[in-house]
Amino acid sequence: MSLEKYEAVIGLEVHAQLMTASKMFCRCPNQYGSSPNTNVCPVCTGQPGALPVINKKAMELGVRAAIALNCEIHPESVFARKNYFYPDLPKGYQISQYEKPFCTQGYVVVQLKTGEEKRIGITRIHFEEDAGKSNHEAYGTLVNLNRAGVPLCEIVSEPDMRTAHEAGQYLRALHSILRYADICDGNMEEGNFRCDANISVRPIGTEKFGTKVELKNINSFKFVEKAIEYEVQRQVFAIENGEKIIQQTRSWNSAKNVTEVMREKEQAHDYRYFPEPDLPKLVFSSSWLDKIKKEMPELPQQTSARFKAAFDLSDYDASVLTSSKELAKYFESVVSHSKNGKASANWVMNELLGRLNAVGKEIDLSPVSSTQLAELIAKIDSGEISGKIAKTVFEEMFATSKDASSIIKDKGLVQISDPAALENVIRKVIESNPSQLAEYKAGKVKLLGFFVGQAMKETKGQANPALLNELVKKFLDS
Amino acid sequence: MLSREEVLKIAKLARLTLTEDEIGFYQKQLTRVLDHIQDLNQVLTNKEAFVQHVPVDAEPFREDVAVPFANHDGLMKNAPAVENNCFLLPAIMEQN
Amino acid sequence: MEFGTLSIQQLLSGYQKKEFKPSEVAASFLKNISDKNEKLNAFLQVRPDETLSQARALDEKMSQVEMLPLFGIPVAIKDNFLVQGWQATAGSKVLSGYLSPYTATSVERLQSMGAVIVGKVNCDEFAMGSSNENSAFGPVRNPWALDRVPGGSSGGSSAAVAAGLATVSLGTDTGGSIRQPASLCGLVGLKPSYGRVSRYGIVSYASSLDQVGPFSRTVWDSARVLEVMAGHDGMDATSAKRAVPRFTEELKAPAKKAFTLGVSRSWLEGVDPDVAKAFDSAIEFFKKMGGKVVEIDLPHTKYALSTYYLIAPSEASSNLARYDGVHYGYRTQSAKTSEELYSKSRGEGIGREVKLRIMLGTYALSAGYYDAFYLKANQVRRKIQEDFEKAFTQCDFVVSPTSPSTAFKLGEKTDDPLKMYLSDIFTLPVNLAGLPGLSVPCGLDSNNLPIGFQMIGKPFGESELFAAAHQYEQIRGEFPVADMAKGRG
Repeated sequence: MSLEKYEAVIGLEVHAQLMTASKMFCRCPNQYGSSPNTNVCPVCTGQPGALPVINKKAMELGVRAAIALNCEIHPESVFARKNYFYPDLPKGYQISQYEKPFCTQGYVVVQLKTGEEKRIGITRIHFEEDAGKSNHEAYGTLVNLNRAGVPLCEIVSEPDMRTAHEAGQYLRALHSILRYADICDGNMEEGNFRCDANISVRPIGTEKFGTKVELKNINSFKFVEKAIEYEVQRQVFAIENGEKIIQQTRSWNSAKNVTEVMREKEQAHDYRYFPEPDLPKLVFSSSWLDKIKKEMPELPQQTSARFKAAFDLSDYDASVLTSSKELAKYFESVVSHSKNGKASANWVMNELLGRLNAVGKEIDLSPVSSTQLAELIAKIDSGEISGKIAKTVFEEMFATSKDASSIIKDKGLVQISDPAALENVIRKVIESNPSQLAEYKAGKVKLLGFFVGQAMKETKGQANPALLNELVKKFLDS
Repeated sequence: MLSREEVLKIAKLARLTLTEDEIGFYQKQLTRVLDHIQDLNQVLTNKEAFVQHVPVDAEPFREDVAVPFANHDGLMKNAPAVENNCFLLPAIMEQN
Repeated sequence: MEFGTLSIQQLLSGYQKKEFKPSEVAASFLKNISDKNEKLNAFLQVRPDETLSQARALDEKMSQVEMLPLFGIPVAIKDNFLVQGWQATAGSKVLSGYLSPYTATSVERLQSMGAVIVGKVNCDEFAMGSSNENSAFGPVRNPWALDRVPGGSSGGSSAAVAAGLATVSLGTDTGGSIRQPASLCGLVGLKPSYGRVSRYGIVSYASSLDQVGPFSRTVWDSARVLEVMAGHDGMDATSAKRAVPRFTEELKAPAKKAFTLGVSRSWLEGVDPDVAKAFDSAIEFFKKMGGKVVEIDLPHTKYALSTYYLIAPSEASSNLARYDGVHYGYRTQSAKTSEELYSKSRGEGIGREVKLRIMLGTYALSAGYYDAFYLKANQVRRKIQEDFEKAFTQCDFVVSPTSPSTAFKLGEKTDDPLKMYLSDIFTLPVNLAGLPGLSVPCGLDSNNLPIGFQMIGKPFGESELFAAAHQYEQIRGEFPVADMAKGRG
């Protein structure tokens, strides 16, 4: 196998649905899950005489994306019609942007496994409207136009990625940025963040691109890297076997873990793009652009820098805690209640994320809320429970979603800090171990640990360790 | 003269089924109009890529407020076929 | 009493004096329509109960005449407007039976100001044509001579008013479709500036050229309809956000009385002698009123036909892609694949001339031809605009005959598309330049057929157009009406 003699050339096209209240060109609600054809009107069903009017918020979100992705914004751009026939495209054309998109030439910096950073170029971002949905049943095709006209940004990368891992990291970075800036909710299951990949391979050291294959609709992070990795291997094997790569569109079959042909290079589409005559050219005033810049929400890198400074975190910790907007928010909430940055970071990263990972849950579905975790941390800091007991309590919290205080109370896990109570225990331990006492008295002071351990065992670990240590010593020495 | 194949290619792109008679008819008519249109080549023009026809004081933007359309029934009533409140296309042998 | 030949002004005055009520007027129009439409084929749909109930509701509001500028005025609407509750076929089989789910902004504004809709009227299919012979529902005949065409594409709108079956009507004008039929039927026809009236709810033909406008007997009536329906509409991103003058108020005391008319003689070569004579005599009227005539140069208007027949079909090829049998309209019964469903529904449902233009536009936009055809045409379009901009530094209006000939016989120009297209050589450049154009009757030819005088104004210069045309109208005197409009039957 000669995979190492080749390199992959990967470019991604991402369709991100914009978080608006209404659709791109009409006032219908931009809402998922409504019953079929209820979020529709004359405009988005392509009735005769209906005309598009631009949703200003959608433009604002697009500009935000352009800023977040370091793009050059064009104050004048043009909407264009892409003409093709499909049942879920009621006008017979999609309003998009073609020759003059509203922004070009941006980039995203991604972290690689090696710890290095890589800059992935963004060719362009343009606005377009989504199509409806066709369901193919045995008795016919059902068309639901609720999604038709929903606002999208298409983000096209440069073919800058060389491995499936890079592509995965690019996609994660993009996803995180769009969510941080409240541009796109990133929900892949509902199709609000969709990705197509263009993949080719070439012998390392050559400049010329190989024949590219388009991988369509990879709708989960889990599959992106798998699918690309598979496709790269498939292409290398084919070339090594003397086969030619055919330009085609393929899709990922997640049941079989293979890519499959969707269609062969189609009769070259002729979309007959031309400027949308129902809309004037799209003009962004500089004052409006300035206003959007000023009101930009915080981006992941900014949040990370802020965390490092405020809570004295390492680069690594900060990058983990800002890897998603929800996690960063969760962490900030924990800190604000616990008032202990370092401990909060440790608990979130080591205990909570570890447990969540084990059960395959995201932070927004955590059974332990941020205030609950903060309460637990505060109880350690106040001495109410020991760190060790806290871990037991946390397990219980994770399993039952109960508050720390009620678990501690129900199970009697409160730390014993009452000297009188501890003295009784210590007296008992000393009395039942006369020979060890004699050895201690004879000078084997190491045995202090033995007596502390026995006493701790008696209290089921609930004794305040510092106080216990002090009292045992006092008793032995008296 | 535009060839028969050219006419058929355009008709396919435009999704228009033509009868035999129509193919010959449009060969002639399209050719007649296209010949006339050649006179534009005599005009020296600026190379602008986009010519605006909309008045400068047009207002292309609207605020992002969702207002549901009240007459869904009116939309669905015009549909040639409906199933589960979806537009229905008959079962077909192949997808495009 | 006979209402068919009265103007808006005359009807309003009768209502004010309580001489008659809206329901009497509406009933009279409905009766005339049912008597005369068979000969004309102007009306495609009437809903007598609906019309009468609208009119009766106004009977109860006789005290509000002054507050409703179109109180009880019978209006006919071209069948490419959507009016909720009414059909909208745009003259095409592909939209046969289509019921409008909403109402066009222009119509909504007329209705809210008291207008009563008497019916939907015939037109060339998708407003493509100059004779109304391209309608899937048969040709319309000219009330002045039943063997002749009423012009097109708004032939039903012009025939209805000329025959006294509506006081005013609405049409659309993409390359002359209001002004040319107004000229051929002896009416005032206005194409407003692009962006003056909302296009929301009119079946799009060529988005960058389409405008809504009125047919009327008088300039005052035209001004009244325009002032009601003009103005920015949040549903049309190309409609201008600028104040609409009170046009009829302005007519009481025009700001200017002597106008300079621009004439380009080379543009006017080849018009019928009778038309040329009537045109020259109209100019003489303006001179008598103290006006001046200057020779202007419009070097690119000779390319207007080619420019138009690339831009309009290109936009149309896309605008008409929605008629594919999926969501509404005609669907073929014999499709075996989705591709066949589109192609056959469209092939069977769309008529000959419309298919020609769709194919022309598809070709002009297709890969490899875009720059040479569509883009080039838009660049020439800019040149035509510049010609007018330059001309308006020398004159207040550019004037021409509206049409090179008077009403021609049915079938006379149906063989050769170019012969038909040439009917619009004086009107096409006005749409390409986005300017307001008004056709006002200026004489009759030797066959007793009306001739129209076209006045082209500066962008959004409707006020001046109305002022000058109104002045001309008063000196010209009352224009004859078609015999058919006189009396019943």
